[in-house]
Amino acid sequence: MSERPLLAIEDLRVRFKLRRGTVEAVRGISFSLGRERLGIVGESGSGKSQTGRAILGLTPPPGEVTAKRLEFDGIDLLSAGASQVWRLRGSRMTMVMQDPKYSLDPVMPVGAQIVEAYRAHVKASNAEAREKALEMLAAVQLRDPTRVLSLYPHELSGGMGQRVMIAMMLVTDPDLLIADEPTSALDVTVQLEVLRILDDLVSQRGMGLIFISHDLELVSSFCDRVLVMYAGKVVEELKASRLADAQHPYTRGLMRCLPKLEGDQHPLPVLDRDPAWAL
Amino acid sequence: MAQPILKLENVSVAFGGGRLRVTAVDDVSFALKDGESLGLVGESGTGKSTVLRAISGLAPIRDGRILLDGREVPSPRDLAFYATVQMVFQDPYGSLHPRHTVDQILSEPLAIHRRPDPDTLISNVLRDVGLGPSFRFRYPHQLSGGQRQRVAVARALILRPRIILLDEPTSALDASVQAEILNLLEALRAEHGLSYILVSHDLAVVAHLCERLLVMQRGGIVEEMTADELRAGAVANPHTAAMVAASRGFERRANSL
Repeated sequence: MSERPLLAIEDLRVRFKLRRGTVEAVRGISFSLGRERLGIVGESGSGKSQTGRAILGLTPPPGEVTAKRLEFDGIDLLSAGASQVWRLRGSRMTMVMQDPKYSLDPVMPVGAQIVEAYRAHVKASNAEAREKALEMLAAVQLRDPTRVLSLYPHELSGGMGQRVMIAMMLVTDPDLLIADEPTSALDVTVQLEVLRILDDLVSQRGMGLIFISHDLELVSSFCDRVLVMYAGKVVEELKASRLADAQHPYTRGLMRCLPKLEGDQHPLPVLDRDPAWAL
Repeated sequence: MAQPILKLENVSVAFGGGRLRVTAVDDVSFALKDGESLGLVGESGTGKSTVLRAISGLAPIRDGRILLDGREVPSPRDLAFYATVQMVFQDPYGSLHPRHTVDQILSEPLAIHRRPDPDTLISNVLRDVGLGPSFRFRYPHQLSGGQRQRVAVARALILRPRIILLDEPTSALDASVQAEILNLLEALRAEHGLSYILVSHDLAVVAHLCERLLVMQRGGIVEEMTADELRAGAVANPHTAAMVAASRGFERRANSL
């Protein structure tokens, strides 16, 4: 990647000052992202979601974000004012969260929510925004987008809800999409449909994608490159196609401990956590 | 192995009445052999958890009957039933009382069943599930997800039941912790000659722990097969085939790049 990276991160740290002391959730990670699919994998508490949130400036208080460099398309996000970040977030960089049930407004039809998201960033009339919303709902392969437009979130299934979320996040044509466990609340077969849609849209639009997940196999089948996080640090960076060549014992252990349909082992190899990994 | 220990005959579960009636489980029959581990798989909303809840008396049975050792189980279930059949729930964060210590959690079934010498039983069961005596007086919030699920397994095990109903016992856990719990369940089964009914959406987990599995769709059983048939891909039902394909991960279409 010779051109300017979409996202450049150096020594990103997220700290939470709590009464019982300071907890560092992300402890100095660096990476850069072009218009590619990057997977961030780790178990709960590894700091993968906090990394995604820190990029978008969504770290919840009392969290503090520091970095030597945190640039989105050449814009320094740390020194940028709140209003500039406000303008970027939701228009040029967006995020799809895990559970559509909790990330959609329950008392507002989804169409109105997409229109609102669009008009927050683009000067457009209501009718234009509605057209755009319909177009996006069709792009995420929802049958009968006009009907879906007037539905409330509780009237949607999990898969439909997540498609609506994706439609809402992509309606402003962002350059960067951060997907935080976008399919883990969905059934396996629905999961694949949603990934397929995400994959098509990301490649058609040439966006950069950060795909955050606990599922190493899924990430490696979906992304170009994978960062493996453990205790707030990146312990290994891999080409997704070279997953089998993983060196770090954590990555290898993580792959081995899953039950498999082919070549299953009894008992399953368990992960022996070496305290040195967290240093 | 031949005798069925638990048998469901044409069991239906429906919630609500009239226009709002929802049939969650529709005419389900199967038998669990003594010492067998049986898997129930299907997507969300297919009624697999409701089958377990119907067996344990937590869901209303509208039709059909459940036989334990050849005798129909009473409703509400009696103590003898719960001494034989116990259940482990999906979410170890929700299934343990937050203000009870591990000791209190494990004492309760013993008190209800008036078992003598609870002290020894509790320390034995904690050792069985791989938790040391130091865990005995801790509260659930002082435990990790995997340790909590071990406590939930201990609570099910402490009455020495013959059947344990497992409702997605590992889906709230990290992959490495899941491996530990699956190994624990497998070891306990071998040691105590337990029978399991395991509900899961993860085919690999079911194939790992069970010899036989039933695939559910829209409240009914659509396919029955052995774990070996599943591994070999000998799947007849198109819905099952889609699940098997999906569990093999995402494959990018050639033209989408």
